[in-house]
Amino acid sequence: MRMMAVFEKSERIRHIGHLDIQRSVQRGLRRSGLPVAYSGGFHPHILISFASALATGAAGKREIMDVTLAEPVTPELFLEKMNQAMPPELHLIEAAPMDDKAPAMMSLVRAAEYDLAIDGEEAAAMLTAAIPAALGQTELTAMRKTKTKLEECNIRPLIHALDGAGNHIHAVMTLTERESCKPGMLLEALCRLAGLENPPRMVVTRLRLLGSDETGGFIPLEKMA
Amino acid sequence: MNQGKMTNQDQRTNHEKMERALDAVQKAPRYTGGEMNTRIKEWEDTPLRFGFCFPDTYEVGMSHLGLKILYGLINRESWSLCERFFMPWTDMIAQMKENGIPLLSMESRHPMREFDVIGFTLQYEMSYTNILAMLDMGRIPLESRERDEADPIIVAGGPCAFNPEPLAPFIDAFMIGDGEDVMTELNRVILERKEKGESRQDCLRKLAQLDGVYVPGLYDVAYHEDGTVKSVTPVCPEARPTVLRRFVTDLDSAYYPEEIPVPYTEVVFDRIMLEIMRGCTRGCRFCQAGMLYRPVRERSMEHLAELAEKLVASTGYEEISLSSLSSGDYSCLPELIRELMRRLKDKRVSISLPSLRLDSVLKESLEETQQVKKTSLTFAPEAGTQRLRDVINKGVTEQDLLEKCRDAFEGGWSSVKLYFMDGLPTETTEDLDGIGDLARKVVAEYFRVPKPQRAKGLRVTVSASTFVPKPFTPFQWDAQDTIPQILEKQAYLKKALNIKGVTFNWHEPYLSYLEACFARGDRRLGAVLRRAYEKGCILDGWSETFDFGKWMEAFRECGLDPAFYANRVRPMDEILPWDHIDSGISKAYLRKEKERSSRAEVTKDCRQGCNGCGLQRYDGICSWAKGKGDAPCA
Repeated sequence: MRMMAVFEKSERIRHIGHLDIQRSVQRGLRRSGLPVAYSGGFHPHILISFASALATGAAGKREIMDVTLAEPVTPELFLEKMNQAMPPELHLIEAAPMDDKAPAMMSLVRAAEYDLAIDGEEAAAMLTAAIPAALGQTELTAMRKTKTKLEECNIRPLIHALDGAGNHIHAVMTLTERESCKPGMLLEALCRLAGLENPPRMVVTRLRLLGSDETGGFIPLEKMA
Repeated sequence: MNQGKMTNQDQRTNHEKMERALDAVQKAPRYTGGEMNTRIKEWEDTPLRFGFCFPDTYEVGMSHLGLKILYGLINRESWSLCERFFMPWTDMIAQMKENGIPLLSMESRHPMREFDVIGFTLQYEMSYTNILAMLDMGRIPLESRERDEADPIIVAGGPCAFNPEPLAPFIDAFMIGDGEDVMTELNRVILERKEKGESRQDCLRKLAQLDGVYVPGLYDVAYHEDGTVKSVTPVCPEARPTVLRRFVTDLDSAYYPEEIPVPYTEVVFDRIMLEIMRGCTRGCRFCQAGMLYRPVRERSMEHLAELAEKLVASTGYEEISLSSLSSGDYSCLPELIRELMRRLKDKRVSISLPSLRLDSVLKESLEETQQVKKTSLTFAPEAGTQRLRDVINKGVTEQDLLEKCRDAFEGGWSSVKLYFMDGLPTETTEDLDGIGDLARKVVAEYFRVPKPQRAKGLRVTVSASTFVPKPFTPFQWDAQDTIPQILEKQAYLKKALNIKGVTFNWHEPYLSYLEACFARGDRRLGAVLRRAYEKGCILDGWSETFDFGKWMEAFRECGLDPAFYANRVRPMDEILPWDHIDSGISKAYLRKEKERSSRAEVTKDCRQGCNGCGLQRYDGICSWAKGKGDAPCA
């Protein structure tokens, strides 16, 4: 059976990269005693996939994984066993069984909601003040890093919500395999508008992953399992 | 007495500063903590706080078995807690300096000064400057005599503690020998001091009365005019004339952790290390560990199988290595491997056997290991000719080695690592040629296996390290080759090993030269160490930070000659700087071994009969001393 689980990557371990998080979750599954399913072949591995790789340096409040189990398990038992087996920095919040034929969670991600905690009150105030201007434009440029080059792109169509209060900026931005706007790109664009030469330090927390319903509106990804 | 020194506000600030620093460094995961199976015990409710310091980077320290044993052992007691400290990398050190962050523990991020005991593990001489750096970053005075009542007690243990003298000015008390029992005894004395408000000096005198504890400040060292040691004299009745190391006699009843921290990132040894035995009966004459970890003590198969199951369940690791100085010598290795495989098969755990001795590799067990996962093969002939192998008592023949290699190649292995040493006593060009010959013969063994039966991609890696004479070995009186001699030999080897399919690895000799100085150094080297640290020497074991020039300046400025320590043949009757430490192995035995070595005479494995190394003097210490030891599967 397949089980979808929502988990948190705490701020303390935000610098742990995606591959290391994957391995840590796999080891957690091995510790849990749950009936984990392995792939066939010469180097069997645990059947698990993550809806979206979370960047090194970012924390995640509601990250999503999809695990295949060899035998049916209730979500309650799954959560209990996993939370005994995981470090507190990587704890599971909820779990739900999935249809075996359901598409991979990864293919359903459309956008993500972020919190950007800006270091320095002055910088935060300047950035927050630049938000209305940013939203008022049809074109906002930022540099996008691809595998081979650094290129300019327009991120305005990728920003679906943007507001700020105190030291925090809150944003909903496109996240698909084809295109996405990363928090660093948003910060860069806001800095330019605010006249900030050096981008301030920030701590990024991905609050949730979003999919879309029939009408095209965003809904929490876990609701689509 | 440390209570209330730091406010919650200070701690919050340190925490916040640290979080900022983390965003500015490479490899931040080294400093984040929060790994599975680490523990944050209640700070206020735990009376004794022990800071375990590994004087190298996180990746190295987290691969160390001793850390895991003592971490579990101290945290297991209700009255003590243990948190870890590692040596930060240079970028983090710069951040800490710039932002006024003291060295913080990995678990609760308390500064070093807030702990009652700070314990360093001494695995390698060239990590000594890191000890000074960590104390300095921890805002603790570097030298014992500069510390006051509020400072933690600084202790150290591990193999390098057997010659504690170069570190004598900096460490308050050394634990000599197996740490499992003495660790708790030492912590109890320090807790008592805290509860009763005893003075630091009184506490150190009490520590000196514990078996296996050496408090260097309670001894005076006098020197002859030529710089050799004249005498080492206790200055108070509590200090014993000689300190006998500690022995754990029964490993099955000794503490072994059932849960070990699992790092998020890959560390050097990222797997379960199952210590199947301690000690080695081979008696290789260059090998300090072979002498210091005597006698051989085996864990029972039943205990090991249980531990393995528990560790697999608590860590989720995919791999177990059977660890010891010479795992192939474990009395019932095939039975153990079979038992582990039986119990762990469904868990998809592979079993690897490091430091396999060539003459004890069993084809059968190789094939069994491979059933789960193929692991690489390592052999350590150490020397290129039979004559030199006899000199060092490495009881390995060329025929043995080649047979094992053939077995391995037939079994589907295609990469073999061969370890050698250059600069061994009596080494000649012929011995260096022998290394090339051996490598060539290993390559030939591979091609002798019919093509369809052998794995593709032959890789023979030959590594040559520079011989460092160590205390408590039969070569403790010998000279190390000079740097020009070593460079010449390495250049020669490079040519001799220019063979298709063979890769040659070697290290520059400068670090080995300093290692030789500190391994057999006296108390005066403390000044050199401090001077080198003040000149900026840290992380000396890493080529990107090692600065040999500064070290030489430090020696010059202290008026000491490194060659006096590294390149001098010491007369047998000279008082050695570590003579007041008793490893249990008698000096008479080491002398006898040195003499046999000069005649290229081999000494048999202790398992074939007692050689009288000195341990037979103590009742119940060595089970092989009275003839035959107990084989747990017999």
